[in-house]
Amino acid sequence: MRRVAVTGMGVVSPLGNSAQELYAQARAGHSAIDHLQTPFAGRLTAPLAATVRFDGAAHFDAPKLRMLDRFSQFALVAARRAMADAHLEIEMVDRGRAGVFVGTGMGGSISNDEGYQTLYGEDSNRIRPFTVLLGMYNAAAAWIGIEYQLRGPNLTYTTACSSSAVAIGEAWLRVARGEIDMAIAGGAEAPLSFGSMKAWEALHTLADVDPTQASASCKPFSKNRSGMVLGEGSAMLVLEPWDRAVARHAPIHGEILGYGLTTDSSHITKPSVEGQAAAMRAALQSAGLEATTIDAINAHGTGTQANDMAETAAIKAVFGTQAPHIPISATKAMHGHLLGAAGALECALSLLAMQHATLLPTLHLQMPDADCDLDYVPNAARSGVAVRTMLSNSFAFGGTNAVLVLGGAAQRGRA
Amino acid sequence: MQTSFERLRAIVVKDYKLDVDQVDLETPLEALGIDSLGLADMLFNVEDEFHILVPPEQVDLRTIGDVVNFIDALIAAQSGTMSRPGERAQAIEAEPLHSP
Repeated sequence: MRRVAVTGMGVVSPLGNSAQELYAQARAGHSAIDHLQTPFAGRLTAPLAATVRFDGAAHFDAPKLRMLDRFSQFALVAARRAMADAHLEIEMVDRGRAGVFVGTGMGGSISNDEGYQTLYGEDSNRIRPFTVLLGMYNAAAAWIGIEYQLRGPNLTYTTACSSSAVAIGEAWLRVARGEIDMAIAGGAEAPLSFGSMKAWEALHTLADVDPTQASASCKPFSKNRSGMVLGEGSAMLVLEPWDRAVARHAPIHGEILGYGLTTDSSHITKPSVEGQAAAMRAALQSAGLEATTIDAINAHGTGTQANDMAETAAIKAVFGTQAPHIPISATKAMHGHLLGAAGALECALSLLAMQHATLLPTLHLQMPDADCDLDYVPNAARSGVAVRTMLSNSFAFGGTNAVLVLGGAAQRGRA
Repeated sequence: MQTSFERLRAIVVKDYKLDVDQVDLETPLEALGIDSLGLADMLFNVEDEFHILVPPEQVDLRTIGDVVNFIDALIAAQSGTMSRPGERAQAIEAEPLHSP
């Protein structure tokens, strides 16, 4: 297996549109969660979301923009930023050995929602000719492949909230095994349509609006947590073989060291402690690391009662007596739950945290919970902490558990 | 009364974010970034504006002038047969509707 470097990072996120801004906002403990400002907000029980500042017209000409759902726009812009960040001369890449790996939970759900509105709401028998192209789940990956003319694998993963962790993990496997020499991997999600938000609301997983501060509505691991808050955006990484990255003097953000993938196969929504623990163990095994070498964890940490309790138990099952000493960050309190893009954004944030020797905070941890009694880095970041290896957890409805093992950029000398 | 060209130009200017003076009868669709797939999208909006039904068969239209001629031919052919855009042709044939 080859070592795999992360040489490019691009984001379109509620916390900012550059890696630097994303990190700075997270480091400062700013929450992007707010009241959702849309015409349908009044019809939602809890009109909350973490939205991005984004104008597609600033990035695409009008004919192309008409073919891009918001999630594809996010994905393409994040991919462009990642490629620019990687300083990769695309002409030097064997495009037949370069691929695109994108995770998304809901694909072009806004375009589909608009189509349904036309058919059912307006009683029309006609629908925009681009509806299929806008709505299809692999549109984002396809457009990225077209933009850079990458002719290796072009894959889209839909495993709900672990989609983009799976995408990065699967890309890592192919680069590490020598099947491809470059991958653009990450996730994109634009789930803030009326239909999608009502569907999430009906499932009773969304947080109540915090009565004093809307931005504090998502409270991972706090006893008074009431659920998750949806977010939108994209994060894309460029993955390359480590030796090639070093040889071309590429900027190296860090390293993907391993990837664990397990399935609960028990309940469609209820998380399984065993399944999550098995994914963390599988990730460690794939990285060839002992649990004692893990310095920190980016938790799935959604802020639902069920997830946070199960994840805490799973971490204890894997790390035993060491568990209370491992700092755990749940950054969804700040950027919201990006569903299929969450794993990629949190992977990027974790790499940035390691670069800055910082542990990112779990905001709004207001009330201790006896079932969630680990070190969640409550409410304020910690600086000056050597973080060499991290786990990034992503667990999903449907039971797909994906865990990435990340290494800091400082480990250039690792054998 | 606006000509077909003026009405089509208004659609194109709005949907493709162009200035009016960028569009004349000789303008190639390709120059506006409209390929065969984009043409299907444009004709969808043409149906709304002109209250005509564009047949599903692919057509070879290369300039704005070609589209104007195509629209005018459809208007002539379908005049008096439609009151709403997009109604199924079969339904129209079975139960002819009168122009307003």
